[in-house]
Amino acid sequence: MAEIDRKLLLDCALCPNMCRCECPVDQALGKEAVSPTGKARFAHMMLEGQLPWSEEFVEAVYSCVGCKGCETLCPFEGLELAEELRLVRLEAARQGVTLNSVQPYLSNLKKYGSPYGSRAPLSEEARGSKGAEVLVFAGCTTVANNPASLEAILALLDRAGVSYQMVEEYCCGYPADLWGDPELARQLAKENVRLFADSGARKLITNCPECWLTFKRRYPEWEQELPLEVVDGTAFLLELVREGRLKPAKVEGLEKVAYHDPCVWARYEERTEVPRELLASIPGLKLEEAAAAGKATRCCGGGQMFQLASPAGSEAIARRRLAEFPAGMPIVTDCPFCREGLKVEGAEVLELVELLQRACCGGSGR
Amino acid sequence: MSGSVEAIIQESSMSPEESAALARDLAKIVGEEGVSTKMVDRLATCRDFWPLMGVWFVEGKVPALPDVIVWPKSTAEVAAVLSLANERGIPVTPFGKGSGVLGGAIPLRGGIVLDTKLMKRVKELDRENLMITVEPGLNGALYEEYLNRHGFTGGHFPQSVRCSSVGGWLACRAAGQLSNRYGKIEDIVVALEAVLPDGTVIRGPKKPRTSTGPRIDLLFLGSEGTLGVITEATLSIWPYPEQKAKLSYAFDSLEQGLTVIRKIMQAGGRPAVVRLYDLDETAGHFPETREAEGRCMLVLLIEGDSTLVSAEVKLAQELALEEKGLDCGEAPVDHWDERRYNVSLSSKMIRQGAVLDTIEVTANWDNAFTVYKNMREALLNVEGTALASGHYSHVYPEGACLYMTICGFAPGDKTEYYKRFWSAAMEACLASGASIGHHHGLGLHRGLWMEEEQGENLKILRRIKQALDPKGIMNPGKLSLEVAEKWQK
Repeated sequence: MAEIDRKLLLDCALCPNMCRCECPVDQALGKEAVSPTGKARFAHMMLEGQLPWSEEFVEAVYSCVGCKGCETLCPFEGLELAEELRLVRLEAARQGVTLNSVQPYLSNLKKYGSPYGSRAPLSEEARGSKGAEVLVFAGCTTVANNPASLEAILALLDRAGVSYQMVEEYCCGYPADLWGDPELARQLAKENVRLFADSGARKLITNCPECWLTFKRRYPEWEQELPLEVVDGTAFLLELVREGRLKPAKVEGLEKVAYHDPCVWARYEERTEVPRELLASIPGLKLEEAAAAGKATRCCGGGQMFQLASPAGSEAIARRRLAEFPAGMPIVTDCPFCREGLKVEGAEVLELVELLQRACCGGSGR
Repeated sequence: MSGSVEAIIQESSMSPEESAALARDLAKIVGEEGVSTKMVDRLATCRDFWPLMGVWFVEGKVPALPDVIVWPKSTAEVAAVLSLANERGIPVTPFGKGSGVLGGAIPLRGGIVLDTKLMKRVKELDRENLMITVEPGLNGALYEEYLNRHGFTGGHFPQSVRCSSVGGWLACRAAGQLSNRYGKIEDIVVALEAVLPDGTVIRGPKKPRTSTGPRIDLLFLGSEGTLGVITEATLSIWPYPEQKAKLSYAFDSLEQGLTVIRKIMQAGGRPAVVRLYDLDETAGHFPETREAEGRCMLVLLIEGDSTLVSAEVKLAQELALEEKGLDCGEAPVDHWDERRYNVSLSSKMIRQGAVLDTIEVTANWDNAFTVYKNMREALLNVEGTALASGHYSHVYPEGACLYMTICGFAPGDKTEYYKRFWSAAMEACLASGASIGHHHGLGLHRGLWMEEEQGENLKILRRIKQALDPKGIMNPGKLSLEVAEKWQK
């Protein structure tokens, strides 16, 4: 288990907030306590015993969307503030403090294996072909908020002739880990690894970057060896297009879209070209870039499930981000949290798989 | 509630009942979300980035806590908050991004911290007249980003640009690193809107110049929240520079470098960046530049219209060669550019127990070198000082800003050591005939030398303060306009 780097955290706490212009929480909420340095200061003071571990101060260390915006300007080698704050939240939980707003979601996770509550059993159709090489991992947020995007990826796989299967998956463990319950996260991971092993699949594809990141980064830390390769869903679909197994056609009535780079893809994975190549494969469609795009992207408000921890804060961040997009066209993204986060003020937001489904399958059918 | 955090220079504060009642009244103006009495917000806004605050933070101390924090969203809300505070005689400390370095944002007498962060709108971009009107809480880097997206630059790049606000620049009379080309904030500002303690809103003319009596709005430049709250600013902007040229030269002596930059400025050249480093800073910043070993580095960045840039490059080259400057190429300029916002050493040194600061003063050319020599000697004579170095970074036809960096390990109490080296620096500066401040403002600490700096003028400033703020509610204890009871030399 990683440990808090107290020296780096103190360096950050002593810095005059030189990265605050890139902290979406700071800029949207306008409160000194949730500036990058503010968060580090409260973390340091609680760790030093100068302040009690109370909800009031712990809330500051929950006020991070994990977008790595601060890191783009940070001079302290090795400092990942979001990661340090995650570890501080684990310590807060050990001290008996978890943010009240996330408690219902943690309860759901314990009871149902999803932060959003019970999940309907998979339909026979969605279960796909038992023993298929490709396993589609939907992710709780997709299932709860936008099942249409799951439908879309299944339709695209059908269209491309890719045999797939789905299992009665559990949450990947991401929220439990974010919110200070690593034991729960590890249990969920263990259940998933068992399901994956039983499935016989050799490749897992997911359109949820947070699930993807958890599999890649946390499962090894939790000593949960994945029995299959984890693949970014957008990249998988792009391969199918490149191979000619998917043939996008013009989408009637749609000439321009903007693309929102999710932080996980653009900052953690530094993967920005894949969705652009996929969009470029759709005839007659022009991509208009946001004012801050690619690795310079900014958070949608949904990073680190901030919608659940702080709905009002998340909306304020989303409004700020929306102002960076060209008007009069849909925003396309490939993250269920970004889609959900940006859907304020009547913005039209859709997932890339939904657009690709329209281009390859026409309408919404398979 | 605040655990073991100790507020060590607090002069007064409210009872919890009083602050709760005040918060209820303020909520009627700004809404429930716009007010807080939570300790988390009180601790977050109890200080700025005065380097001594870092030392105190490590020691588990804070300077002074506000009782209530308020986040107004408009000029009308600021006016209503100030009216209420004035009526009841409650102290108000304006707070931008808290990036000041002299304790100006410390709420010595508790009361209200008025945080301007939610007032961050761009109100008007006037392309024809090259002006922009913004609210004071707008972050500096985002202000420049907005202008760049529209093909302009604001020309104001203090080292704090990423962590400071437009209002803060104006309130402390700031200067940016490209100030020789674009001017200091007082050259860039066109007009201000501000709210006086009684709620009166004043506005300056958004005109290039007027001859219609003293400009009341411009009185707020450098007032550091002691007269009221700046609520809107109209600033000059420039087309994004067409061309940039980078030059650097190493000189055998600091005096030779000073001669070159004096001649450039007096000939009418305006390189955006002029930085002349002493031996220690040259060795520290440019160890990879062989020609600079044992010499003093001059870094120049010239930008703007290409015809003008060519002429300025020629002028600088000729004058540098006249003083036997060794051409070091573009690399030192790139190095400066890459490192210009990196202040990480400060955190690391404080974490390791050091006490440090930077002190910028203003000298005329005829004593620019003497001031450096005397301040450096005085600082090195203070027991515990390990380093006292300097560079010149803002220049004029009449003189230059000298920027000293001091780092040491206190032989005893860190705060006492801090006070000792500041006193040594200020005394040497004043004895050498320089002005004690160039662009960091006065805040709490440098304000202690206002009498020596301003003489009789201080009495007039106090009378102006008395006229505008008769109850003394605005940022009390700063700029030596009143005595800070618990903070003396």
